Amino acid sequence: MELGSIVSRHYADTRPATAAQPQSGDGGMLSGAAADFAATLQRGEDAAMSAMTGSGDPHALVQALAQTELAVETVVTLRNKVVEAYQEILRMPV
Amino acid sequence: MSDFNTAMTVATSGMRAQAARLRVVSENIANTDTPGYHRKTLGFEAEMARGTGTGPASLVVAGPVRLDQSLLDSVYDPSHPMADDTGHYDGSNVDLLVEIADAREASRSYEANLKVFDQIRQMSSALLDLLRK
Repeated sequence: MELGSIVSRHYADTRPATAAQPQSGDGGMLSGAAADFAATLQRGEDAAMSAMTGSGDPHALVQALAQTELAVETVVTLRNKVVEAYQEILRMPV
Repeated sequence: MSDFNTAMTVATSGMRAQAARLRVVSENIANTDTPGYHRKTLGFEAEMARGTGTGPASLVVAGPVRLDQSLLDSVYDPSHPMADDTGHYDGSNVDLLVEIADAREASRSYEANLKVFDQIRQMSSALLDLLRK
């Protein structure tokens, strides 16, 4: 059909406009933050391990666990915010 | 690392230094009656922590242990195996009053650092509470 081909061509023309555009800056920053988060978690686990085996300093344990708590709390809050935004978009009437 | 994390590191270094000071005080008190024992003193030194991401921060570390070179207490006890001709022997130069005061000071400083640590935790969680509804 004439109309069908026009619509499909129009759709093909507008598709690139809505395609996701990867941005180089944000990806690097995010992966850096994720690596920092993983390192903080690792430090906390190492401190807990050495404290349980009796070789660790209790101050180091408390410090590492408090920093881990802070990091996890930040990440969980951010994730909740992102999920909330996503659900807000899903609820949008089309 | 954020300022919160750096501040936590600094508060922890303070607690660790005060704990070391209390250890030295306990060594002195335990050796009050040890003949010839010189009391130990502990100094503190500032240490710059770099690579925190928020500029250098001054940590505190326990410095080297020094011996108090003041005169030893002369104790009169002729029956003591180390007593000299006059019946005196060298005791320790530990003054319990000074040690108790030092221990109290270490305890107070430790508490102050602990309060700071707790304050940082409260501040950071209050900040994150803003994002929750």
